[in-house]
Formats: sequence, structure tokens, C-alpha cells
Amino acid sequence: MKFTEAMLREFVDSPLSAQEIGDALTMTGFELEEIHDTGGATVFDIAIMANRGDAASVLGLARELIAKHPASKPTQSMADLVSWHDPEGLAAGTISIEADGCTRYSAMLFDGVRNEPSPNWLQECLTALGQRPISFLVDLTNYVMLMTGQPMHAFDLDKLPGERIVVRSALPGEKLVTLDGIERELATGDVVITDGHRPIALAGVMGGQDTEVGPATTRCLLESAHFDNQAVRATRTRLGMHTEASYRFERWVDPQGTFRAMSLFARLLGTEPRTQFDIYPHRRPDLHVSVRPVRASLLLGCEVTPRECSDYLERLGFSPEAEGDSLRCSVPSWRNDVHGEEDLIEEVGRVHGYEHIRTEAPIGSTPVGGTHGGSLRTDRLLARLVRCGLIQTMSHTLRDAHALDAEGDRVRVRTPHSPETALLRNSLLPCLAEAAMKNGGRNLGLFEFGRVFAPAERVSLAVLLTGCTDGTSEADFFTMKGVVETALGTQEWTGTSDPRFHPTRQAGVAGLGLFGQIHPLVAEQCDLAPTTFLAEFDLDAWLTTAEHGERFRPLSRHPAVRRDIAIEVLKSVPYRDIEATVVQAGGHDLEAHWLFDVYEGPGVSEGAHSLAIALLFRKDGNFTDEEANRARDGIVEALQGLGARLR
Amino acid sequence: MEEVVRLTSLALAAVAEAKDTARLREVELEFLGKSGSISGLMRGIGALPAEERKGFGEAVNQARIEVETALVSRRRALREGELQAQFANEALDVTMPGRAPNAGLVHVLQQTIDEIKRIMGGMGFEYHESPELEEFRYNFDALNYPPNHPAMDEQDTFYISDEVLLRTQCTALQGRVFEQRKPPFRVFTVGRTFRNEAVDRTHGHTFYQVDAFMVDEGISMAHLKGTLAAFVRGMLGDEVTVRFRPDFFPFVEPGVDYAISSPRLFDGRWVELGGAGLIHNNILRRYGIDTERYSGFAFGLGVERMPMMKHGVDDLRYFFENDLRFLRQFA
Repeated sequence: MKFTEAMLREFVDSPLSAQEIGDALTMTGFELEEIHDTGGATVFDIAIMANRGDAASVLGLARELIAKHPASKPTQSMADLVSWHDPEGLAAGTISIEADGCTRYSAMLFDGVRNEPSPNWLQECLTALGQRPISFLVDLTNYVMLMTGQPMHAFDLDKLPGERIVVRSALPGEKLVTLDGIERELATGDVVITDGHRPIALAGVMGGQDTEVGPATTRCLLESAHFDNQAVRATRTRLGMHTEASYRFERWVDPQGTFRAMSLFARLLGTEPRTQFDIYPHRRPDLHVSVRPVRASLLLGCEVTPRECSDYLERLGFSPEAEGDSLRCSVPSWRNDVHGEEDLIEEVGRVHGYEHIRTEAPIGSTPVGGTHGGSLRTDRLLARLVRCGLIQTMSHTLRDAHALDAEGDRVRVRTPHSPETALLRNSLLPCLAEAAMKNGGRNLGLFEFGRVFAPAERVSLAVLLTGCTDGTSEADFFTMKGVVETALGTQEWTGTSDPRFHPTRQAGVAGLGLFGQIHPLVAEQCDLAPTTFLAEFDLDAWLTTAEHGERFRPLSRHPAVRRDIAIEVLKSVPYRDIEATVVQAGGHDLEAHWLFDVYEGPGVSEGAHSLAIALLFRKDGNFTDEEANRARDGIVEALQGLGARLR
Repeated sequence: MEEVVRLTSLALAAVAEAKDTARLREVELEFLGKSGSISGLMRGIGALPAEERKGFGEAVNQARIEVETALVSRRRALREGELQAQFANEALDVTMPGRAPNAGLVHVLQQTIDEIKRIMGGMGFEYHESPELEEFRYNFDALNYPPNHPAMDEQDTFYISDEVLLRTQCTALQGRVFEQRKPPFRVFTVGRTFRNEAVDRTHGHTFYQVDAFMVDEGISMAHLKGTLAAFVRGMLGDEVTVRFRPDFFPFVEPGVDYAISSPRLFDGRWVELGGAGLIHNNILRRYGIDTERYSGFAFGLGVERMPMMKHGVDDLRYFFENDLRFLRQFA
């Protein structure tokens, strides 16, 4: 909220400089966003807490400053306003309320006014605040609203036959051209001000054009009302409007302040009202809340004496009265944010100053902190991927469609404001493809983990390999398989049929995920190299698989003996079968075995390839050359069952 | 005997003339080897008269020692020269670049998250996660938001339906924990949050948030301040101080916004970091917690703020763009 230093000093006699005032307000919770000089006036811009509508006024902030800084005193002008008593026994006159959304409607009727341009002081004040002066009546309603927080509206009485005001709910099909010249379609539930027949203003939001005051206006009806915040909010959000009046009504306006504000208006206008009306059907019941100073000290974490508590609350207008160990407070009408003891404790704390709060470590017993279970297992998985030399990426959850999206239903944002944030990702592969493109698309090893929505939310892990990532060789299908098995552990891989992948170069586990080479057509679409390898796994599913216990195996003191074999075998024989045969025939003494070369070409029959397999034997006691040869021969013989022959 | 003298002087001359250690080895074999000429002299010892044998043997041994000594010293000299030549030959331009091993890289935000987990875990806070696609009731209702609060506006929040939205704050975890647990507990989470905002240097529609809360007997604002101070000091350095300022969030009362200051990082300015406060009694009561016995605090902050402060990153968008030139700066 913007106001000038002069406006504040109208209400507060303070030894503080403008900057010091801003700092004091900041420390009570009303942050000074900006302070600057505009043509002789110092302008404050203060952020108002969402639950403190009362502070969206110079009066409210003056109250805060005085409470926080006792050497700052209210001026006579403020004292007059604060001690104001509404005139008693006022009649409703020509005003009636037929809607729940109107708590109170007060009005003053003025004759013989001259709606000329405002006096210089007023024009200068509004100009300094960045507002355009319009006319005396309009400028005064704005100025008084800034000073007191009470939104007001002036109707031209000549355009108001019978001087009638009826507040009611809008009827279906009713329309109103508001002051901004826009025709508004009204809906049942909108609270409107009518002249008894047609709407002339949107309650708490904006007046209507037909009854607007202009240069020819000599008689006016000044509205100073109180509207329910929910009703105002519903109407203004439906119509997409946002006004100074609706801003205040949505938060809170003091229902006791309608006449107080009008008295200031009349004084500045220099005209006595011909008559005034008041109708107040929904008077707020008095609200009392108690606070225990001991409790305040305990929860605030600093010592506050009962005397201090009482002083602070008194200065904020809560009229505390001692009642045993408690202070019984009367919640002032301008506050709608105080309901319980904790709210008063905050009031005490704000005035006392949060700088007095001690710095203490909490004591007490709680379970072991940190990361446990699945989160811990995931952390270790990520560490393994980094050890594979991969770079972690992080991409947006919200995105547009992509050729690498998974199949199936999508989760969509209901009202996306751009196509780029319309869909929730259902796979991390599009993210990795884009990250790869961003970085040249070649010689990259990337991974990402995060939530996908397919359409149920789950944690996913994806890897992309392309080109040379380790400085020595080009990544291929088996590089990816090695990465996947390092990360997730060896699995029973079987063929899969994901259309995003090369049809004969993909493998996976149902329900867990898959890896393989990108489909050449998808690669073209994404502008990726056809030798790009992808993997994606459901980590939630992986976390339900058994974790391999890392159990110590005693180390043999005896040397191992290695024998290599090269066999020629039909390519149609899966390596899994060869491996099973090797393991079975090798028996207990075969400590390890691995494939170290695959060859096809001259010297090998059509449709076959040559596999070079290393065999490592070890047992308790020395393995002789003869024993090793025998064991090797046994394996070769067993492999003959698969049609393999030694080369 | 003349033969001894002759061979000795021949050998010494050959040692002196040898140009390299390989030639020296040849000389050694030529004179002192099994079939070397000086070694060969001993074979003729049997033909000498008995009284000359002793003298001849000593002379040959003496010659042998003399030549060996010369060999050793010549070898040392030659080896030294050869090493010098080798070193000169093998000289490298050490200013040429090193070949980095293929080490892999943790994303800078993940590094920050790991650090947060370490520090909060160290203070006894358990790490929990909750869905990104959250129910309206956990994101707002359970956190004491009044109906129609402005934060619920469609223009501020990504709605999927009336009941489901992308969580706007990780505080949404609170209700889920309160349903399951009885105090005392200390819990925290780190995760993505979403706000329907226009994207620029300092605003994104997606960002990471830490949210931590604890409930126990006698928890006060002092414990909040102590925990926050320990946290930010762990993250940003021991000289960081914390300041509270009153602020309003529906789920805390009293509520504060906290700022930090550090002579090293911000020249003594106060930089706002996030919101905090004592958990609202309405929330504690909603989950059947006796507010006379128990109280609790909660705080939250944006994860991206940490590397921005620590490393001077000046644009939020870098974190999700995956430009390796950016990510590699934080290896």
C-alpha cells in the first residue's frame, strides 16, 4: 500500500525519520518495500499481510507504529477519529438491505456541492501516489479510503430518483455498466446496490456509470458500507475484477468505521450533510480472548512480563483486563484475525520484538533422523549411476507432447496457460532426449530420476547413452546393459516390444522397465543419432524387488587357473543357454567365467559366430594344469549339446 | 706377469673408451666374463712353478679388482649421462591439459538436496516424501487455509481437477504425517512444488522446496530459531545469522518470515529466505494433539536459493535447462 509521509504524520507525531518509520513497520510485520521522493513528497510502499485488512490504511499503520514505538504519539487528528462516536438513533430512511452479503449500509446526503477539480494539496497527494486526480468528490473518496481504510462511493443524487438505495442479490439477466465502461453480466449471488429498480453499483467492487458524479453534480449520496468478504470475493473473481475497494473488503474493513470515515470526508469537503442514514443488520458480537503471559513467554522463547503483555495489548486496542493468570482482551472491531490465545501471543511478540527470541536447540527424544528404507536405497542407486560416469539432469515435470512419450492416458493441467506446461510427463525419456539435444546430441551419458505420471504418480529412472562416453569406445547395447545391471542389479531380461525402441534390440522386465537402442524412425523425429541407447525403469517397482544381501565370502589362499575357449556356435543359440551350460558343467570349481570376444566373418560359418569365453577355476588346494584342462574339456563337451564346436 | 699387466691396461683403456653402458657390459664380459681374457689367465696358473702360483693368483685378483672398480665408476658416470639424456628426451609440456577420468556428475540441485538431507538428518529429522500430484485437502484444507483463500486461485495453482492439483508447497506433507504419527516427531521433506507463474530470472513455475516441522513438549520460537540457525549455518557457513520478522501464513501462528545475513555472502544485508512459525493450534487440534502439552514449529524455503546465494547463480532457469556448461561448473 502506498501513502505519503505527510499522510502518516497527519495521524502520528513521531521523532522517527521516514526510513526509521519504515524499518519499525517492517519489524511489526508490515514490510517496507520501497521509499522514494516524488516531487517533494516522500512515498512509502508497504506490503500488507493478507490477514490484516485493517492495516491497508494510514490509520491502521499509524496504530501499529504507535504500538511498536511508544515515543510516537497519536495527533489530535487521529485522536478525534479514534474517539469518534457514531450519531445515535439514525434511521434507515430510504435505504433497505435485502441481501445477506451487506453487513451495514451508512450514507450521507449532501446538497450544494461543487464537484470541481480538487484543491492543490489533494491533487498533489494523489499524483505523488501515482493516481490521476478526477474530481473533488471522487478524489476525496479515494483519499479518505487510504486514510481510514473505508471504501466509499459517491452517487449523483439527481440520477437517483426518490433517493432510494436497495441492496439486494442480482437477478438473472441483469446487467450493469461499471465505471470503467464495461457492461457486466450479473449473476444470482452478486450483491448489487440498486435504486429500487435497476443495479447502480457492484457492492464493494465498483460503481455504475449511470449514477457517476460529474462536473454538473451538485447533490450526492455518499455510500460508506460494509460488505461480506466472501460475497465481494466471489463477485470480483467471477468478473475478473480487482479494485482498491474489493482488495480491502476481501481482507477486512472495520464495520464500526463507516461514519468515522464519512465524518472525515465531510470535514474535508467543507459541507454538512443534509441528512444521514444508517442500517446495520449484522452487528458483530463482541469477541473476548484471553492470553496467559506465562504461555506467551514459553511459546515465544523469550521473557515477557505480564506488565509488558498488558501494555502491548493496550497499545494495540485490545483493552486487556487481568483475570487470574490471564489477560482478558476485547478484540477491536477493526481486527478479524484474532480468535485464540496464539493470535494474542503473536501480537505480544510482534510488539516486544522477535529479536529477543533466544536461539536454542530443541531437546527431547525422537526416532533416528535422516534417510531410511527406499529413500536410502534410491540414494545408493544414484551414486552407482554417477560412478558409471553418467551426468544427472533435472527437467520440467510440466511439458508438451514428445515422440518418446510412453503410451497411455495422460494427466493434463485443467487450464494450461501455454502448451509447454499442458501435460505432466509420463516418461523421462523425452526429458533426456531434449537434454541430449541441448548438449550437441553426441558423446553423452545422462540420467534423470524423478516423478512421472503414467497416469499414476511414480518415481522413474532413465538413462541415455550415445557415442563415446568413456573416452575409449562407442556405447552400444551392451554398454547400456552393463550400466543398467550396475545400477539395478542383474535381472531376468527378456525381449520386449516397445515401439519407441529398435524392435530387435530391446530387453526388459515386465512391470519394471526396459532398455535398448532407439527406434531409427523415432531417432529421426527427435533428431537423435540412431546409435542412441535408452533405458527407463520404475523405481517404485524396483524398490519392491529383493535387495541382494552383501555377504562376505571367504577368500581362497590358493591360486586360480584360467583357461580360455573359443567356440563356434549358431547365432540363434542364446548366450543365456551357453552360460547355463558352462556353469552347470563347470561345477563348484568354476569360480568365474566371462565372454570376452564375439567374432563373425571369414573363418566362421554362415549364421554362426565365434565366442571367446574365459574360465577361472579355483578350489581348496592347488589346481593342476591337468585338472584345469580336464575341467575345460568337460565344459566344451557339454557345449557340444548346443551344437557348439571348439575352434 | 706381463700378460696380466698388458690385459689390465687393455681392459682399463677399453673401460675408459666405452661410450655407453651397453659397450661397458661388452667390455666386462670380454675381460671378466666366464670366458673373459683376465678370467682366462687363471686357467694357466697350473702351468706355473708352484712358488709363482701364489704371486700370479694375487696379481690376477688385483687386476680383476682394479678393472671392476674402474667398471663400477665408469658405469656410474655413463648411467648418469644416459639418464640425463633420457630425461631431456622425455621432457613433457606440463602445461598441457590433463585427461579427466569419466567421473559422472551429480546435478547441482541434487548436491544441495543431499546436503540438506545430511544436515536435517543430523538434527534428528526424518526424511519423508509425499506426492507431487496432491489432493486439494492436504495442500490447503489441512493447512488451515480458509475457503476461497487467494492462493487457491486457478491463476496461481495448476489444477488437474477440483480435488487434485500440483502441490503448491511441500508443507502438504504435514497433514499426511499428522494422520499417521503421534508426537514427538521431527520430519522434513525436499521436493518439487508448482505455481502457475510467468517464468523469468527469479520466478519459475517449478521449484524445489524444503519443508521441516517438529512437534514435542514445550517447543517454542527459540527452538525454531535454533534449528533454522543450525540449518543455514550448515548450508552457508558458520557466520550466518538469522532474523525473524512477523508475517502471515495460514498454517502457523505466530508466523514469521526469516531472513539471513552473512558478512561474506551479503555484505551484512538481510536476505529473506522463507516462512516459518509455530504450527497453528487449529492444525494440531484437528489431528487430536493436546495443544496444552504439545507445540511445534514448521519452516520452509526454496532449495534453488542455496546455490544461488552460495555460487552467485543469477538466473533460476539454468537449473532445469540441463546445459552441461552450467552443470559442470558444480562438479
